[in-house]
Amino acid sequence: MSMTDGPTPMQTVAAEQAAEDREASLKAAGRSDHRQPGKRRFGNLSDRWQALSRQQQWGFLVIVVVLAYLLPLINPPIITTEPGNNFALACFDMARFALIAVGLNVVVGYAGLLDLGYVAFFAVGSYCAAMLTSPDSPYLHIPYLWTLPVAMAVTMFFGVMLGVPTLRLRGDYLAIVTLGFGEIVRILATIIPAMKGQVGFQNVGHPPGTAVDGTPIFSNSNGVPWYWLTLTIIIIVTLLVGNLERSRVGRAWIAIREDEDAAEIMGVPTFKYKVWAFAIGAAIGGLSGALFAGQVGFVNNQKFDVTTSILFLAAVVLGGAGNKVGAILGGALVSYIPLRFTAIAEYKYLIFGVALVLIMIFRSQGLLPARQRLLAYGRTAMNQITSRNGKEPTDKDNPSAGPGARAVRQKGAEA
Amino acid sequence: MTLLELDGVSVHYGRIQALRDISFTVNEGEVVALIGANGAGKTTTMRTISGLLNCSEGKITFAGQDITKMKAHIRVVHGISQAPEGRGIFPGMTVMENLDMGTFGRKDRSGVAKDLERVFDLFPRLKEREKQYGGTMSGGEQQMLAIGRALMSNPKLLLLDEPSMGLAPQFIRQIFKIIKEINNQGTTVLMVEQNANQALAGAHRAFVLETGEITHSGTGKQLLEDPSIKEAYLGVG
Repeated sequence: MSMTDGPTPMQTVAAEQAAEDREASLKAAGRSDHRQPGKRRFGNLSDRWQALSRQQQWGFLVIVVVLAYLLPLINPPIITTEPGNNFALACFDMARFALIAVGLNVVVGYAGLLDLGYVAFFAVGSYCAAMLTSPDSPYLHIPYLWTLPVAMAVTMFFGVMLGVPTLRLRGDYLAIVTLGFGEIVRILATIIPAMKGQVGFQNVGHPPGTAVDGTPIFSNSNGVPWYWLTLTIIIIVTLLVGNLERSRVGRAWIAIREDEDAAEIMGVPTFKYKVWAFAIGAAIGGLSGALFAGQVGFVNNQKFDVTTSILFLAAVVLGGAGNKVGAILGGALVSYIPLRFTAIAEYKYLIFGVALVLIMIFRSQGLLPARQRLLAYGRTAMNQITSRNGKEPTDKDNPSAGPGARAVRQKGAEA
Repeated sequence: MTLLELDGVSVHYGRIQALRDISFTVNEGEVVALIGANGAGKTTTMRTISGLLNCSEGKITFAGQDITKMKAHIRVVHGISQAPEGRGIFPGMTVMENLDMGTFGRKDRSGVAKDLERVFDLFPRLKEREKQYGGTMSGGEQQMLAIGRALMSNPKLLLLDEPSMGLAPQFIRQIFKIIKEINNQGTTVLMVEQNANQALAGAHRAFVLETGEITHSGTGKQLLEDPSIKEAYLGVG
């Protein structure tokens, strides 16, 4: 605590500021070095992407999307998972994981809520599709495609049901509760007679349409139409989530992730937005579950254990929490690696464990860090603030000798 | 005119009582300081006023309205804005994005540009750094950003929690001058400080908080000259 008081010569303050400047730039350099040692290479990539014009970006995206659609037909030699696994089915599995990762990314990546029971939503979606279409189910039957929105609505409801009581908890406590929720859903599927436990539901429905030879287009053994359907859904969901992300909702989520108390005292209704993140994430997980049930054609209680939840989370963290493109990449990779390298598939949890440790050490923000996205926000934040009454108030005054500095000087003289 | 009134406010963390029957008022246009040692309940008081903590007893009135049960994000709309302790800026957002978050609860978009101008006038440094990430700035700059962000909601009452914490002595003086300037522009300020000397010198009125209770109150000047305060908080024996 300083005992000296009185007017401050501006020179000293200026010197002080210069010192703080140096300290800040050192700090900045130190931090970025520490966090992202590989940033230079990837950083260039993202810089180059940002430097492209809007048209070029769209053009590039169209090429990528077309290639993605053609992927199971091209069946590229080295990339293919054959002979071990049918490549088209592998593509569907990758797409399914990618969609789950996009959904979980909303919860974990944007809003920063650690959900260790995400598989529960996937399970609810699967059971929705199964119980509404399988002949084994005595209940109401509806066409398969209708189960997709129904599954989303039901899982969304479950998301809100789980979210409202638990989202008052934070961090570790929330993670533990979601972990419990995942187990509860799995165990309920085992003990409730109507859910048929291990026996499960056979012949789950599929979208309509038959090929020329009379067999259904969406058969269990043909992955291509399922892959195309899922890829289309991923594109739609990603566009919708991208819009949310750039909106007021997205800003609120990021603020909550960065500092929840600060967000609340900025006027963000944090609880409401956290429940929204949970509900939207749950709906996407349920959608993926319904697609999975349709493709496999069989649902029982065996595929919804906690390790699957962890695998989903690994996909998001691997790809880069908070970046939807990263999540798609991470989801696809987590599914692809054990399918492609069948010899090591047995060790997949070991390999993902090691990969996660390495990622955390060398690239703690994932393969595609979320920063890219925030930069895009930075561009708009400025416009948002300044365009509100149609003028640019910021380039008016000279920053080095602004009226604030003058005010300080006057106050200094008065004191 | 009374802007903020705390009437018999008590706050508990679980079974531990952090504030006991606190009552004080802040009048419109004043700078009021709350001083006290570590653990006296200063930050608890701030968080209770901003709504991050609920009080177990008592009543808080703001601008004639009972806000005891009001949620924190709604209090912002009513005109209470806080620059939290430890600065509480969003480290992964740029200066501009941080300031933008300050306008989240606002409905009147027309006043925002004017307030941005005001913040940049008070803190020219923030304008220079508008594209820098909050987490990479120095302590003083983060404090400026936290205060600037709080001002972006155009508050009637600005709550400052330890604005001088962790800053260089020269910089502390500058921050207090800026606080005075903010007050001269018409914003009522309630601040919590360990730096009693500076806080009392800059405040119209002040309260001393000891283990959750108010033990002294008076004008800043009276408290500066009070021998017991001198001994306990001003480092003069």
